Amino acid sequence: MTDTDIIVVGAGPAGSCAAIAAAKAGKRVVLIERGPFPGSKNMYGGVIYPRILDELIPDWFEHAPIQRWVVRRSTMLLSDTGAFNIDYRSNAWGQAPYNGATAYRPDFDNWLAQQAVAAGAELICSTTVTGLLRDAQGRIKGITTDRPDGDLTASVVIACDGVNSFIAKDAGLYKSVDASNYTLGVKETLSLPKSVIDERFGVRDNQGVDIEILGGTSGVNGGGFIYTNLDTIALGVVLKLPKLSAQKKRPEEIIAELKRHPAIAPLIEGAEVIEYSAHVIPEAGLDMMPKMVADGLLVAGDAAALCLAAGIWLEGVNFAMASGMYAGQSAAQAVTAGNTSASELQSYTKKLNETFVLKDHKKLRKIPHLVLSDRVQHKYPGFVTGIVERMFRVENPHPKPGVRRILREERKKAGISLMDLVRDALTGLKGFG
Amino acid sequence: MTIAVCLKWINASGQTDVDDDRFMGFSYADQAALEYALRVAENTNDEVIVVTAGPVGAEAVLRDAIARGAHRAVRIDIDRSHDSATIAQAIAQVVAHCALIWCGDYSSDRGSGSVPAFIAAELSFAQALGLVEIQVPADSLHPIRALRRLDGGRREQLEIHGQAVISIEGSTARLRRASLKGSMAANKQAIDIVTVNQVAIETPPTRAYRPRARTIAAPVGSSALDRVKQITDTSSAKGHGETVHLEPREAAELIVNKLREWGYQS
Repeated sequence: MTDTDIIVVGAGPAGSCAAIAAAKAGKRVVLIERGPFPGSKNMYGGVIYPRILDELIPDWFEHAPIQRWVVRRSTMLLSDTGAFNIDYRSNAWGQAPYNGATAYRPDFDNWLAQQAVAAGAELICSTTVTGLLRDAQGRIKGITTDRPDGDLTASVVIACDGVNSFIAKDAGLYKSVDASNYTLGVKETLSLPKSVIDERFGVRDNQGVDIEILGGTSGVNGGGFIYTNLDTIALGVVLKLPKLSAQKKRPEEIIAELKRHPAIAPLIEGAEVIEYSAHVIPEAGLDMMPKMVADGLLVAGDAAALCLAAGIWLEGVNFAMASGMYAGQSAAQAVTAGNTSASELQSYTKKLNETFVLKDHKKLRKIPHLVLSDRVQHKYPGFVTGIVERMFRVENPHPKPGVRRILREERKKAGISLMDLVRDALTGLKGFG
Repeated sequence: MTIAVCLKWINASGQTDVDDDRFMGFSYADQAALEYALRVAENTNDEVIVVTAGPVGAEAVLRDAIARGAHRAVRIDIDRSHDSATIAQAIAQVVAHCALIWCGDYSSDRGSGSVPAFIAAELSFAQALGLVEIQVPADSLHPIRALRRLDGGRREQLEIHGQAVISIEGSTARLRRASLKGSMAANKQAIDIVTVNQVAIETPPTRAYRPRARTIAAPVGSSALDRVKQITDTSSAKGHGETVHLEPREAAELIVNKLREWGYQS
C-alpha cells in the first residue's frame, strides 16, 4: 500500500492542474511545493491564456486573481533610435470568454493550488523534493524530500518541478542539457498609479496591454516585453544564454538600456522599481523536450520544456496547465487500471499529440531558432525601421522614392542578402503557416 | 501533566497591518517557546497543547505546531482587536490546568510582551519573563534554571518551580522542522475551538491614554525666570541615583518614600 496514489511535485500551473485533474478523478493526491506558498518562487514575463481552465474550473474567470485582461497586443521592432509597432486592439478580449490576462504569479498560482486543495488534493509547502524513490527493480515508487521522515510513496509521480527539473534528469529523461536551448528572462516590476498607466497605454478599468519587443536587447539575442498590471508595469528582456555570456553583459544593464530607448522611456517615466526577478526559460521547444513518460513517472510544464517561444506567440502558462491536466488525468486512469507502467501512461503523450500542446510545437518547431537567429535579431529590426523611416519621411523638394528602391537600398544597408531574405521568409511562412 | 504554548498568529513578512494567509505565521520568540515546550515534554512524556487566539485562518499556525510535535491545539475564536489583558484572560481560562505555560517574550508585530504577564497575573502563577537562557531538567518539569535579561546588560538568575508562565526570546532556540508525515497528519487533526461565549471575558472600560499626573513641589526663587529655570533647566548635572545596600523590607520602604518624594505617589 502506497502513502498516496499520486504525488505531484511543484505547485505551479502545471502541478496544480495535474492535482486538480487527479483529485477530481477521485484519487489521493499530494501536491508538494518547495516555496512557503504556491507561486512564492515563480515568475514569468508574459500573459496567461487561461481558456484551457474551462475544462477544470468552468467559472475560473469569475474567481481567478487577474490584474488586467489584455485588449491591446503589440509587436514592436526597435532599432537604436526608431520603433516600428504593429498594434491590434479588441475590446472583445476584455469580456467573456476572454483571451489573455496579466496576473501576479504569487496570486494566480496560489489561487490555482487552492482549487486543487478544494478538489481534495493535499498541499504540502516548504518541502523540497530531493530525488526519486525506486524499488529493487529500479521502478519509481515515490520521492525523497528534505524533511525529516521525508520519503513518500505513490503509484505515480508527476514532475512539474520547473525548467531545471531535477526529477526528469534523475529519471534519465533528458538526453543532455545544452545551454543554447535556454534563455534567461529578467523582469522589473515598475510601480505607477493606475490612472497614469491607463492614460499612457490607452486603456481603462481592467483593460491591459501586452507589448512584445524584437531588438532593444543591446546586441544580445533575445527580446523584450512590457505588460500592464493594475498599478504596475512589468518590463523585461529574454536573453539567449550563450550570447549573454559571450558578450559579458549584465541583464540589468540591458534592461536599463531598454528603459532608456526613446520609444520606451515615456511609457515608464517616473516609475519606481519595486521588484526585480529572473528565471531560466526553456526556449527551444520540440528540439529540447525530454521523454515525458517513464514507469510511474510523468513530466509536465516547464519540466517538459513545454514553453512556446515563437516570436508573435509567447506562451507557457497555458501549455503548463494543459500538460498538467492531461498528466493528472492519465495518472488517475493508470491508477484506476492498476497499471502505472510507461506503456499505460503513454495515454498522456497521446493526449499531448492530439491537442495544441504538441501540435503547436510541431508546427512552430523552426520558429524559435529563426526568431533567435543573428539575422532576425540584429539585422531585421534595423531593416524594417529603416524602410518605414524612409517611407514616411518627407524630403521635399526631393520626390518620394519608390518602395522597391527603399527595400533594395535598406536591405543592402542592413547587410541581408536576397537569398537569406527569401529563405527566412519561407521558413517563417512554413512555420507560421 | 500538560504543557501549554501560546502562539500569536501574525503577518510574518513584516507587514503588520495586513492579514494575508500566504504570509501569516508566528514569531521567532513563539517558535523558541514551542521548541522548549517540546523538549521538556519529550523528557517527561507530558502533553503539549498549543493555543492561539484569532479567526479560522489562525489554525494554520496550530497545524504547523502539531506537525512539529504538539499533541493538541485550541483556537480561541476571538476578535484580535481586543487588548492584551482581554486576550490573556481568554487564554488563561484555557490553560489554567497546565503545569507550564510557554510564550514568546514578544511578537514581531509590534508586540509589547504583555500577554504572558497578564496570563500569570490572571492565574496567580509564577512568572519568568524575557528569558535569554534556559536549562531544562533531563527527566522532570522542575526546576527550570534560566537567565533573565535586565537593564544595563545585567542578568538575573531564576529557578522556576511549580506552575509558571515563561516567556523567552527568539534567539534561545531554533524550532525543529516538521516531518513530512507529521505535516500530512497535522492537516487531518481536529482543532478544538473555544468561542468567546464559552470564556467569560471582562472587558474593562477603555479611555484614551494619558500619563498619570504627579505632584511636584512648587519652585522657589525671587524672580519668575529663576522659578521657570528651576523646573526646566537641563544644563546642571542631575544625580544618577544612588546605590544602597539594604534588607528587602528597608529597600522597599526607601523606594516607596522616594516615589512619594518625587511625586509619583501621593
